[in-house]
Amino acid sequence: MSVEMRRPAQPATEGREEPTPQGAVPMWLFILLFVALFWGMNYFDRHGAWFNGRVYAPYRSLAELQMHQPPTGGINLERGRAVYESVCALCHGVDGKGKPGQAPPLAGAEWVLGPVNRLVRIPLAGLTGPIEVNGQQWNLAMPAMGAALSDEDLAAVLSYMRTSWGNKGTEVTAEQVGAVRKEIGNRTQPFTAAELLTVQ
Amino acid sequence: MVSPEAKAKAAAGAPAIDAGSAEETVSCRWPLLVLFLGAAGWLVAGSLLGLLASIKFHSPMFLAEPAWLTYGRVKAASAALLVYGFCVPTALGVGLWLMSRLGRVALAGPVVAGFGGGLLHAGVAVGLVGVLRGDGTGFLHLEFPAGAAGLVFLGYLLLGTVGVLTLYRRREARMEAAQWFVLAGLFWFGWIYSTANLCLLVFPVRGVAQAAINYWHTGNLLGVWMGLMGLGTVFALLPRLAGREPGREYVAMFVFWVLLLFGSWTGIPATAPLPAWMPALSTVGTVLSGLGVLGVAVIVHQTLAGRYGSVWRDERLRFLGLGVAAYVVGGVMQVVEALSGRSWMLHFTWFTAAREWMQVYGYLALVMFGTVYAIVPALVGVDWWSRRFLRLHFWLAGAGLLFVAAPLAAGGVVEAARLLNPALGFVEVSRGTLMFLRLSTIGELLILAGNGLFFVNLAGTVAGICRRALADALRRWGAETTGEGAAA
Repeated sequence: MSVEMRRPAQPATEGREEPTPQGAVPMWLFILLFVALFWGMNYFDRHGAWFNGRVYAPYRSLAELQMHQPPTGGINLERGRAVYESVCALCHGVDGKGKPGQAPPLAGAEWVLGPVNRLVRIPLAGLTGPIEVNGQQWNLAMPAMGAALSDEDLAAVLSYMRTSWGNKGTEVTAEQVGAVRKEIGNRTQPFTAAELLTVQ
Repeated sequence: MVSPEAKAKAAAGAPAIDAGSAEETVSCRWPLLVLFLGAAGWLVAGSLLGLLASIKFHSPMFLAEPAWLTYGRVKAASAALLVYGFCVPTALGVGLWLMSRLGRVALAGPVVAGFGGGLLHAGVAVGLVGVLRGDGTGFLHLEFPAGAAGLVFLGYLLLGTVGVLTLYRRREARMEAAQWFVLAGLFWFGWIYSTANLCLLVFPVRGVAQAAINYWHTGNLLGVWMGLMGLGTVFALLPRLAGREPGREYVAMFVFWVLLLFGSWTGIPATAPLPAWMPALSTVGTVLSGLGVLGVAVIVHQTLAGRYGSVWRDERLRFLGLGVAAYVVGGVMQVVEALSGRSWMLHFTWFTAAREWMQVYGYLALVMFGTVYAIVPALVGVDWWSRRFLRLHFWLAGAGLLFVAAPLAAGGVVEAARLLNPALGFVEVSRGTLMFLRLSTIGELLILAGNGLFFVNLAGTVAGICRRALADALRRWGAETTGEGAAA
């Protein structure tokens, strides 16, 4: 018996029964296609970010991506901690307790929790001469460690100091830092404790 | 239990593909034999290299010394040989044959086709040497260096042109599903292979776009091109071998458009380092092309309803049937992989390897085995050199597929589950898959044995007709000389 590759000229009429209908597309396949298309639209809407080339896999939309960006306004305490640990912590300690003979403590210090205008002046221009912190006398010189920081970073690091290690102060804003920076102008001379006490 | 009548019928000989007109047969004979014989050789070489790679994965010291036998090179060479050495030439040969037989016309330019086949195999040989020398490209399914890829493409271009011209000259005006599937496949391969090689090797695009192009090419090659060539063959041969009328073209059209419209989006895993819209669209495309897979199941069921037994009694139909079953399983695995991508990283495990085995070997290679077994006797005019090898090949291929794909898939699921456990280190998770990999090596060994039988059987058959032709020529020459001697 051999199989003819050519298609028959007319339907074979041998009387052989065809148990299945000739090649109609079953309706359920079309229904399933439209269900899948509907699902696909929804899926793409939820995950595809509408062809935005800036949105990558774990994020689903530009809005979600922007939600995770670091805030541009307001105070970012995480940023403050990072700046503190890279700029201040070498002398004042990661725990803010200071180091004997090197730097006074910041935790619970009246100079940290006192008026903001007084505090901002210290990193901007430095501090020299005798000073009493937490009832203990210190006589050291601190350079102007914060002069090179931006207003936002300095505000963040000071806010971090005023709210960490048991300190319960208010946050410092970038505007407050900017105002003090303008007030002291090009001053290169470090402040003394007596001078600072006149600032309210 | 097989009924006595069925047994008697099977013994009387399963239906053979008719010889067709003499010119069709003669025009197809040598180009197709060049394609098939070379392909069978590459298949054996590729599965041997694949076996080496599989062993190295759990026994790293095995043949670790020579650089050209290191894992990265043999694995890449084996993948390239399986796809470009075996699947591409065999599918092209079968495609040309379908164009000629279904259009009832001789092949347009058999010499060009034979030359194209030779060029294709030469490109694969150059590419193999290149990959083993360490000049592989590092792109999956595009392993050959640019020069070899150019040769492969030139050979393909000649073969594809012959295919399109043969269709153009057909005597049978109406086309059937197999013809549009193969026609689309001929254009599709030219498009994706040239685009991917140009954008990755000749004028490389920058950065992450390379990964996107590589994913796109792989998805189109495995999903669309292999789908078109293999399904076209199945739609033409399955009903005829099973003694049914060809037809069912509406469902075939549904499958065709689903494959072309949505299949081309597939291939990008959910966590690929690409803008989110690409993996999202790819996941949607994968699920939608799952409907094409369902359509294939519908066609096969409509064709074979009530005659599943006949599949079992005919070795060629067994190959085709198992191939289509692997197509459906592979398609389902791909949908599962795409949908699980966000929570379970299945695509990051051996599950992907199992799925590719299903699609490349389980589906396309098995369909091509069945087809080559069906058409070569008609081409050369003699039966296979060994019927026993043919039967044994099926069992080796089936068992090999089971032993490769099932452990890798199971290992992939276990691996994905353990990857979610933060207490386990990556090395520990990888070590947990070793037993599955050892099992898959057994499977690759069986597959290699089956492929060896295929090559020997094909070579034996071709050698048989060569010997017969030579004997005929000698006898004629002898008769002439004795005739002349008598006259003198």
